[in-house]
Amino acid sequence: MENWEIVHVPDNPPIPPDQQPTVDVIASFVDPKVANTLVRRLNQIAQLENLRHVKRVKKKFVEGGRTQLSVILCLASEIGNPLESIPHDVQELMNSYQLSPFITKVCKYAALSKEEWEEQCKLWPTSYHPPTYNIDGITGFSEEDSQSVFGFMKYAIQLAKSGDKMVVNAAVIVDPSVKQVITTACDQTCPWYTPANNTTLETYCFEKTEASVSQSQSDGVFSYETLHSNSLPHFPKQLNTGVCCLYPWGWAEQQSDTNSCSWHPLRHAAIVAIESSAARDIHLFPSLGKIQDKYAETEHIHSSSVGSPAKRQKTHSTKVNDEAHLDSNDEGSSSLSVRPYLCTGFDIYLAWEPCIMCAMALVHQRIRRIFFAFPNPNAGALGTVHRLQGERSLNHHYAVFRVLVPEEVLSRDETAAAEYN
Amino acid sequence: MSSLGEENPNDDTLMFMDLALQQAKLALDSLEVPVGCVIVEDGKVIASGRNRTNETRNATRHAEMEAIDTLLEQWREKRLSTSEVAEIFSKCNLYVTCEPCIMCAAALSIVGIKEVFYGCANDKFGGCGSILSLHSSSSEALMSGGVPQGKGFKCTGGIMASEAVSLFGNFYEQGNPNAPKPHRPLTHQAIQ
Repeated sequence: MENWEIVHVPDNPPIPPDQQPTVDVIASFVDPKVANTLVRRLNQIAQLENLRHVKRVKKKFVEGGRTQLSVILCLASEIGNPLESIPHDVQELMNSYQLSPFITKVCKYAALSKEEWEEQCKLWPTSYHPPTYNIDGITGFSEEDSQSVFGFMKYAIQLAKSGDKMVVNAAVIVDPSVKQVITTACDQTCPWYTPANNTTLETYCFEKTEASVSQSQSDGVFSYETLHSNSLPHFPKQLNTGVCCLYPWGWAEQQSDTNSCSWHPLRHAAIVAIESSAARDIHLFPSLGKIQDKYAETEHIHSSSVGSPAKRQKTHSTKVNDEAHLDSNDEGSSSLSVRPYLCTGFDIYLAWEPCIMCAMALVHQRIRRIFFAFPNPNAGALGTVHRLQGERSLNHHYAVFRVLVPEEVLSRDETAAAEYN
Repeated sequence: MSSLGEENPNDDTLMFMDLALQQAKLALDSLEVPVGCVIVEDGKVIASGRNRTNETRNATRHAEMEAIDTLLEQWREKRLSTSEVAEIFSKCNLYVTCEPCIMCAAALSIVGIKEVFYGCANDKFGGCGSILSLHSSSSEALMSGGVPQGKGFKCTGGIMASEAVSLFGNFYEQGNPNAPKPHRPLTHQAIQ
């Protein structure tokens, strides 16, 4: 790869343009003089249910400069001989215009891309409406936004390479409305892995709370000599095994150092980043998390990820929440003065496509867009093994993009983070 | 597909699910979506957990994740090795009031839990049959090119489901204080 590129990963698996599903319809050649009348009548008596993208009339230029028109009369029955099961109204119309029906194929679903559309029209003309979702980027990125995406992805890749011993997955949560890093995290599953602490990044992170600082601090030094340079995704396997979304079940096989104080099979980069962004939220907007110690005794199984046993006072918190919602909802993005609901409006940059656990965690936390650089052939949940963005039953949907990264960026060693100062 | 509505859950199963329901009630008392669970090894409860998503503002803090973290914390203090931890998880059963979501089902597969018993199904997010079936890969770790490809676990649903559902009813009656302003009136909406 020589250039940066952002590719939308759609909700549905792409179908090769020439292999789109088709359905049979009954059509007939018609005299151009009567075509209008005929189509108007057909639209009344034989609507093309579920085929709104299919045009009723096909125009073909034949020798001598003449045009030949054919019209879809009705859908072909799937049972028995379709020509014998034409509805009565259509039969009458055929008789009065002396039409001779034939069976032809049209594409069953509306085209999702220009390529699909062009292929469809070879069979029978259809209409094509480019998607107009309300998530920025699906219909393309401006130059400025693209540069911002590339910059954050460079940063994520840099973090992925920043460990002492091996490449890990890294996550950067960003508020795109102000192009600000909300939090960063690396995988924390391995007993011997200590993520590097790059001080140039600190200026971007909020004053860390205990939840994130205890896990993400280290004395790590960049030591790229252990990485065989060149392209990240082509590293020998033993180096990539640090990427836990690639090997979610690999933790049990890792040798652990019993002196190591921290390892955890589920602390994938995205999970840690979510935890850290939640801690940041509590830090910046503490009023919502009123602590009431008298309930502490009921909290005998408190979370290891959150410092103190806490319980909100019912009446108080309900009131505060209502107030907070007046200015935070429907914003889609945030500044420091406005509290977003979870990660609503935020983007996450991941070096590797996340596994299904991380992908679902990002649904729960209401991330708006996911950008990843390298597909995950073992367990990727955003198009490779699963395609979670296509599960319609979920209560939140994010847009997914793959960022193609130029080789030179993957091999370069200088800190992309410097560019954020 | 997990079996639903086990006809004669034994007394132990009902007792453990009752403990999970007590955890769910604790969550409800704290204005959290009422889901609770217990993890059982050799007939003994070794951890319990309940939903803590509002308190932590972290929507991934489901009961199962809480209970798993409690165990890992204990085992870390005892300085158990990864293989010892894997060994214990492979002997543990989980009792949870609602079908694990896709994230939790994946997490349970990753840690290698032995068996899961749940109350009501989770029609929107369920990872044990409702939306995805992450429990139903092979019961042993599959290997593909030397890469472990995931562990399945036995899964049985429908245990004391009506009790679990009625807790959700209570919760949505009082309203989720931390949810965004609803587009529709608060009725029986998404469950955790």
